[in-house]
Amino acid sequence: MTALLAPGGTTEMAFAAIDEGADIIYVGPLGWSRRPYESEMTDDDIRAVIDYAGSRGKQVRVVLNTFPSPFEMDGFLEKVRRFDAWGASGFIVTDPGALALIRRMLPQTLLHVSIGSGVTNAWDGRFYRALGADVIILPYRWGEEEVVGAREASDIGLEVFLFETVQTGKICPGKCIMSSYLKFRDWHQIEGKDYFHGSANRGAKECYRVCQTEWDFGAGGEAPMALKLRRDARLMLEQLPRFVELGVECFKLSGRERPTAMIRDLVRFYRKVLDGILSGEARDMALHADELAGLRLRWITEKRKRVDALMTRADGYQGDTSWASPV
Amino acid sequence: MFELSTNVATPKQLRNGDFSAYDALYLGDFSCAEYPNNFSSHPEFLAEAVETVKGQGKKCYLRLYAVPSNHDLPWVRKVIETALTLPFDAFEVHNLGLLQMLREMGSNTPVHLGVFGNLYTDATARVVKDYGVTRVYPNPELSLKEAIYIRDHTPVEVLVPVHGKIPLVISETCFILEHSSKAADGKCTFSCAQDHWLTRTKGDWSLKDTGRMTLSGSDLCMLEHVDELAAAGLNAFYVQSHGESAEYAAQVGEIYREAFTRAFAGQPPGDPAARLEALNGLAKMGLCNGYYFESAGRRYVGRA
Repeated sequence: MTALLAPGGTTEMAFAAIDEGADIIYVGPLGWSRRPYESEMTDDDIRAVIDYAGSRGKQVRVVLNTFPSPFEMDGFLEKVRRFDAWGASGFIVTDPGALALIRRMLPQTLLHVSIGSGVTNAWDGRFYRALGADVIILPYRWGEEEVVGAREASDIGLEVFLFETVQTGKICPGKCIMSSYLKFRDWHQIEGKDYFHGSANRGAKECYRVCQTEWDFGAGGEAPMALKLRRDARLMLEQLPRFVELGVECFKLSGRERPTAMIRDLVRFYRKVLDGILSGEARDMALHADELAGLRLRWITEKRKRVDALMTRADGYQGDTSWASPV
Repeated sequence: MFELSTNVATPKQLRNGDFSAYDALYLGDFSCAEYPNNFSSHPEFLAEAVETVKGQGKKCYLRLYAVPSNHDLPWVRKVIETALTLPFDAFEVHNLGLLQMLREMGSNTPVHLGVFGNLYTDATARVVKDYGVTRVYPNPELSLKEAIYIRDHTPVEVLVPVHGKIPLVISETCFILEHSSKAADGKCTFSCAQDHWLTRTKGDWSLKDTGRMTLSGSDLCMLEHVDELAAAGLNAFYVQSHGESAEYAAQVGEIYREAFTRAFAGQPPGDPAARLEALNGLAKMGLCNGYYFESAGRRYVGRA
């Protein structure tokens, strides 16, 4: 089966994505899914989404993709048990140890390896398959050749983000702790978590997207150049038919932090495109080019707004900017 | 009693450096396979290097490339095949696919999980232990309390970086090359030999960039906490000297060798001011304590 995964940053967004034809909705509980609070959900909200999706024959994956502290593993597994009992069909996980524990606890649940795991080659898929994972999300840098390689290396399911393959810049999910080195907000007790976490990787409030703001870069003695550490990702279109042909099972729309209206339109668009490819009736992607151009523009505009908002937060938060001089 | 280690990327660095303060050396630059004569990608240099290091009475570990893409796997396998014939004390592995490969190759050489292996939990330490991992370099975001917890609740040893820039990001592509005006046809001209910095005035932010790896601007410094580390029973310490001069590795090693020797002998701590001054002089952007004391990585917390 080829599935369209869509984000549920809020219940409103999740319901809209289900109504527009997403097969699977992914949602993250507060403090456990690498997103700011406004894009995560309370447990009650997640239950409501599970019920709504179930009544319409759709599935929900719960994103538990922080690297938990060794001290909070019991709480992490308690969340897993709860969402499984409520009918979540699977989980998106980053920590290999946590993944192995969930597999032992719930032999039937579906486990996706999160992009935050930092996969770089097909043998990573082989490792995670041996650990009990069902699906691995492929890095942004991978194209067709790598998809073929992953297929040959193991029988793990493949999932791709609906972004074009990118080759340059610092695109390093799972291999980056820049944001927390520079600054992070203290954790306030919520959802049973009451101690230090340090970064979005670990469930703190937010990654400040420092890679997407402007920096000066250069060697000593040279005039520095102003640049971002990565370029904006572009929504995928032309590569889609080939990825379907190669047996990619899941196509994932990013965007828990985007406005609901945009996610609604994107789900509608990709539902139409995927259905056309799968039925064989509309395999020419040029048919959709104009519509996609408008969506790409909206995507970039909203993304930049979001990055600006996060950087403003980072600039405004002064809690960790002073430090003692050792000498 | 304790082990103090650092890294050496090439035969030239091994020949010219003074590593007398160190008990063990990690050979290779795990971040860039193209780095000239990098041990991690040049199996032809390994036999002589391991003989040299072991001849000095030190342990010798080989670093494997941290972010191998599919097209890198064949040459990495060749490096492993050569290394398996040599008396390395361990391989440092950052990539879980390579961990799987080593297992399927039947390797019995102990494995150290590297900094980009994303070791955050005791649960993961137990998973990788089954792949031959005997030592882990926890993700730098872990606090000292968490690192000690993992040491206490798993059968693996924990490596504690005590000085040097903190590895923050690793990428499969070279950022310096991508933005170099000197690069002809995208070919590497080894511009990373010059120090490159990322700076952002508004946030007072500085990071060092070595092309495929971004490091903290400030140098992690745990000199004021040596006694605390020894008292906690930690005993594997590391000086991160990637991208630094030979003098840096030698001087920092000497300072920590003296400090740990004293701490493990139970002698009282002296005034660290002069040694901190020396370490501060070696750091271009000051000192920090990383995440050990539960704050943003660039803070310097100082002695409790």
